Amino acid sequence: MAMDMDNMLQMIRDRQWALADIDWDAPGADLIEPELWAKLKPFMSDLMWIENVGARGFAALAKKAPTPTLKSIYEHFHAEEQKHANAELALMRRWGMLDNDEIPAPNVNVQLVINWLDRYSDDMKLSFLGTVIPMLEVALDGALIKFITDEVKDPVAQEVFRRINSDESRHLAVDFEVMDILGQADIRTLLIELVGGWIKPTFLIGVLSYFPLLNKMRDNIVAMGVDEERLYQAMRRYRSVGERSAFTRRLPMYRIVSWQARKVIDRTSKYHWLADSLVVATNLIPMPLVHRTPTWSQELTYEPVA
Amino acid sequence: MTISVAIIGAGFAGIGAAIRLKDRGITDFVIYERDTRVGGTWRDNTYPGAACDIPSHLYSYSFAPKPDWSHTYSGSAEILDYIDHMVESSSVAEHIRFGHTVNGVAYDAEAGEWIIDFAEHQPVRARCVIVASGPLSNASFPNIPGIDDYEGHKIHSARWDHDYDFSGKRVAVVGTGASGVQIIPELVKVADSVKVFQRTPGWVLPRLNARTSGLFKRILTDVPLAQKAVRAAWYWGHESVALGVVWDTPLTRLVETLSTANLRLQVKDPWLRRQLTPDFSAGCKRLLMTSEYYPALQADNCKLVTWPIARLSAKGIRTVEGIEHQFDAIVFATGFDVSKSGTPFRITGVDGRDLASEWSRGAFAYRSVAVSGYPNLYFTFGPNSGPGHNSALVYMEAQIDYIVEAISKLFQFGWKALDVRPEAQHRYNENIQQRLQSTTWNSGCQSWYLTEDGFNATMFPGFATQYVNQLKTVDLDDFKITAAQSQSGLVPAG
Repeated sequence: MAMDMDNMLQMIRDRQWALADIDWDAPGADLIEPELWAKLKPFMSDLMWIENVGARGFAALAKKAPTPTLKSIYEHFHAEEQKHANAELALMRRWGMLDNDEIPAPNVNVQLVINWLDRYSDDMKLSFLGTVIPMLEVALDGALIKFITDEVKDPVAQEVFRRINSDESRHLAVDFEVMDILGQADIRTLLIELVGGWIKPTFLIGVLSYFPLLNKMRDNIVAMGVDEERLYQAMRRYRSVGERSAFTRRLPMYRIVSWQARKVIDRTSKYHWLADSLVVATNLIPMPLVHRTPTWSQELTYEPVA
Repeated sequence: MTISVAIIGAGFAGIGAAIRLKDRGITDFVIYERDTRVGGTWRDNTYPGAACDIPSHLYSYSFAPKPDWSHTYSGSAEILDYIDHMVESSSVAEHIRFGHTVNGVAYDAEAGEWIIDFAEHQPVRARCVIVASGPLSNASFPNIPGIDDYEGHKIHSARWDHDYDFSGKRVAVVGTGASGVQIIPELVKVADSVKVFQRTPGWVLPRLNARTSGLFKRILTDVPLAQKAVRAAWYWGHESVALGVVWDTPLTRLVETLSTANLRLQVKDPWLRRQLTPDFSAGCKRLLMTSEYYPALQADNCKLVTWPIARLSAKGIRTVEGIEHQFDAIVFATGFDVSKSGTPFRITGVDGRDLASEWSRGAFAYRSVAVSGYPNLYFTFGPNSGPGHNSALVYMEAQIDYIVEAISKLFQFGWKALDVRPEAQHRYNENIQQRLQSTTWNSGCQSWYLTEDGFNATMFPGFATQYVNQLKTVDLDDFKITAAQSQSGLVPAG
């Protein structure tokens, strides 16, 4: 049954929470063991920046929304992803991970995605953004949050990630509903959009930024001593939920993203030769060469009150 | 005792109607005003920076010219002075009854009279009623969750608190429409910090507001033709804008290009530019005429916030990105409760019919001034009379002259009632709604012009010239005329 978007928007409005609702000084910060603390610091930084990247993705989606209600939903998701990033930053501060209370810089792969989103995301079609952003949410956001919820015992973190998870469940519900709607377009339109999108050099730059980001995060998870299968489980979810809708299956971009997800999961695939090479290559890029801080990436804050 | 004409509201429309009635020799009229002074919108909107975005030589009545406007676009105080001056020079002051809040009007068909019910006074009977209470007269705080929880100072732009000192204060402004863009530059000058909460950005064009030189004022005073020429130049200039604002045409793209160039010139940061770029056709909502807004937004003590508002808390505004923005005062520049589907007060017509019920899905009228089943009752700024590109006063003057003509005929021929034929009203509205379909307002964007169902009960789909022409003559074929009975004792007053 089709989702009632007006009801969804109302639900989103009714379930709002703020950083001020959380007692950031509550006991439990010391429950993180030193070994985990050291690994968690870069992990949290990546997670926070991925939320920020997701926020920018929803901002681009809001520009493409076909109805005022969906536009408003995406505007809320844009802000909620920012809230998640702010809350994760506040957790890092609680755990003493911010040197001089400064916001950590993104890694080079996230930076490349930031740069791409800043320049090109507003020019992308809804059928492209609407299929890639759910994958980012499922794979990165979802997997990382699941991991951290399992590993970190701090009750404040548990509360924060419970709230974030609740928000994300609504994001994903809308994401898949929109894919279902997009899949109802006639096949000719879908194919024209597909070809039109892929022949854009800017999109190919985006693809080349996105591939290594996934593998880099996989490497980070492995480096933390976590089974990469957790990431793969999340990526399988994209496909298992998407396959439920005949319309979503008709979306060429869904098929491509889904195919890519299968390749990521298959460690023996030649895809990894490309993606891992890109990770190595991107690591060689001097950060000052790509480091840009668009205004939207400077709005992160750990302060509940401004 | 029955008066000839009751005018409800002493704003621009009510005073204008009174003057034109007097010009026709109809002097048995009373203006009922709920407030304690005249001026309507311009009495209420005294916020810092309040000004009209239509040039003053056009935002005035042609029958009450003022050659010495101080600026191209005058501020609210000068416009209010102009209204005061009209009241004085035409001696309509004696006809005004302040402190009269109308609760409702009901038609007594047998007597051919309207019974006007007040909140504070005994009812009054009138042969004709002119509802001149205006569409922009009721201001209230917006329906934001937690608005009553906020413990700081709340100010509505239309009810400005002149006793509140903004110096050194942390201030929020909610709303970036016509009022917001005028208030913000003034607040930025005095407040410690200003955060501007925007829901939808508008198309902004620069407003070149020159001080009028003494020589120019003298020429306009001494040579009335020159003043008429200036008014005509502004009028036709604005008429040409209709081609880009009322309908979606290549000229609409030109307006958007000019506005985008203005944004690009004034705002360097790409993200801020993105936040300030509208995603609807120019004209779909009112164009914002200001040269001060963008520089003010970029001042060190000002910040634009585009996160959706989640709720108000005791100390400020919580936005969906999870942050509580705390303030000493919140200014709501959120406009007016524009009546698109109701009536300003209860209006009961022939056989007890209720106008609010008839308008529940969107207001409609005959040529915006009269409604079938409500004889001898007229509206200024009634349904589908809003201009998107020209002076409201041009429209208002046409309405007033039409209404005065209809009332004159009633008294001249000794009729009991003039009531619009339903078929004429239906024909008119069918045509209006059909024409509205091709306008920018009905192009898919949300604005205060439309009801929640997307019905456009506010705007007139055409040039001001077309609007004025349709009100040039009272076409009696479109009215059902009820003759007075000799025993009714109805005597024309004028």
